[in-house]
Amino acid sequence: MENEAFWGSNWLSAIAKPPPAMSFASDDHLPPCALNLNWKQLLRHDVDLESELSSLVSSPSCHPAASADGGVVGGVIGRLGTICNSGEISVGSRLHSASSSCYSTPLNSPPKRNLSVPDYLVQGRRGFPGSVNPSPGGHFMPLPTDPWLAEDAARLSRGGGMSSSGFPGKLGLPETPGKLSRASSSKSLTGSRMVVPENGNEPWVLGAALMEMEMRSRVGGSLTPEQSEPGNGREESSIEEASSLRGTSDSNARKRKASAGKGKGKEGPLPYSATHPPNMTNENSVAKRCKTSETNAMMKTEQDGDIGRKPRKDDNKLLEPPKDYIHVRARRGQATDAHSLAERVRREKIGKRMKFLQDLVPGCNKVTGKAVMLDEIINYVQSLQRQVEFLSMKLSTLSPQLHNMENLFPKEMYQGQGTMPQPVYPAEMASAAYPYSHQPQASPPLQSIVTSGLESQLAPLYGLSDAPSQVGDFWEDDLQSVAQIGFRQH
Amino acid sequence: MVALRFLRALSLVRCSGPGARSPSYRARGIRRAAYACMAASAGPRRAWSRALLRKIRRRPGRGLRRPRAVIRRRRPVGGGDPLEVALRRLVPGGGCMEYCRLLEEAADYVKCLAMQVRLMQTIVDSASHVNSID
Repeated sequence: MENEAFWGSNWLSAIAKPPPAMSFASDDHLPPCALNLNWKQLLRHDVDLESELSSLVSSPSCHPAASADGGVVGGVIGRLGTICNSGEISVGSRLHSASSSCYSTPLNSPPKRNLSVPDYLVQGRRGFPGSVNPSPGGHFMPLPTDPWLAEDAARLSRGGGMSSSGFPGKLGLPETPGKLSRASSSKSLTGSRMVVPENGNEPWVLGAALMEMEMRSRVGGSLTPEQSEPGNGREESSIEEASSLRGTSDSNARKRKASAGKGKGKEGPLPYSATHPPNMTNENSVAKRCKTSETNAMMKTEQDGDIGRKPRKDDNKLLEPPKDYIHVRARRGQATDAHSLAERVRREKIGKRMKFLQDLVPGCNKVTGKAVMLDEIINYVQSLQRQVEFLSMKLSTLSPQLHNMENLFPKEMYQGQGTMPQPVYPAEMASAAYPYSHQPQASPPLQSIVTSGLESQLAPLYGLSDAPSQVGDFWEDDLQSVAQIGFRQH
Repeated sequence: MVALRFLRALSLVRCSGPGARSPSYRARGIRRAAYACMAASAGPRRAWSRALLRKIRRRPGRGLRRPRAVIRRRRPVGGGDPLEVALRRLVPGGGCMEYCRLLEEAADYVKCLAMQVRLMQTIVDSASHVNSID
């Protein structure tokens, strides 16, 4: 789909950019792709964990179910936690990219969600160390009973708990690992929307930590891979189970607990990834998950959720797992039904195109607002068309003078002109440059015109170069016929 | 690319022009040639270039319409926003597109239009420069 390609490419391009300096306080306003950018950057540096992640990811291998993605994400996030611990953030990015690669649609939704999380996480985290440490590492706090809020809160608390208590002996860093873990767990949560905090202490923590990790980005470098490993395993299992909550919450919870009890150990590919219908509602799963959560965590998370939600727009709705066909991640605190998701995607698309138009139209940088922008664009197009008319009139009056010089040099250029593939251009220019020497006076401006035209056209014509030469011939013939039509008519 | 095409078309237009037609005729011919060059260089991948060429070709060849199955109206405009309607009218082929597609096509159209205007301006400048020198 065009949407997917558009978004995917956007996402990739966004990833390629260096992440902006992020502060905890400004999370909510981070561009959606910022998180991805960080991931990508981190990704480059990581090598070892990538293989693990790829194995992780490949098993669900772009499973259309969001839960699968989430599960993968969760698993990856778990790894990310370890990565964070080890300072290799690239794994997280790899994870993110891997998970996003599984998405068939906009990939910036995950980052957005992640972005929203850190803010929430930050606030939650701050409050947590003192309050949430009841369940030290290895044990996971049950999810709050509230739906998404509780889950997030629990996530945060876990993150805090994880950060504070840390994996026993694994999370060497007091702050950053926790942050990283939280980011990763939040990431996984956002990815899956179903991450059960139960087991997900680590996954959540990892997700959240990932986000924080980005923010701190190279702050805590001493994360050790081993620390994230157990989180990964748990995360995977938790995420997968979380995603499969739909009808199997109890069993999932049991399994989660069992896996939690397993301790650190990597779990295999998401067992439930293939079994989840993607259309699980978050509320259902969350509700089920929340049943087992602790109350204090729940309360804490509620507060944090509220705090985290305040900066979000459209706050009053819960996230839901991505839909079946278009894998769009809903942002935290935003409506997640199919219509609103599609609308949001569409709105974002339109926003991007408006921004692009803003760059094209001169003097539109100061203008804000779609209506004013549109007005400016319309005025600009009208002025351009009027200019074309005016210049054509001028050219018609000037034609006798131009006729001589124009007749001479274009002929040589036509010879070099065949189809429109890119390699032809230098040949054209070379062939065209030769006759220029014969007309020192008139040719320089025309040459400049032609070369500038060629150069300026090279970029927009890149698309054309992909077209087969027959298409180019087709267009050449069209032009000739059109010119002849105009010629005959007048 | 546009420059070559345009100059070639200009020469074609001028061949018949001087002495045979009034300046307004020639101006119109030059304008059509300009738009045709612009659309042709933009390529068939752009909806506006296809629509523009179709519009340019349609006038002389009314009776010779080919029996091509062209899906013209995928989605008729819900025309609530006057700005959007105006933009649709400005951009060739803008009546059938969705809004985001319209914005995309408008961006490409603006880019090519600006290039065409720059090209024509340079030609006019060079011509007047030559005239002033001579």
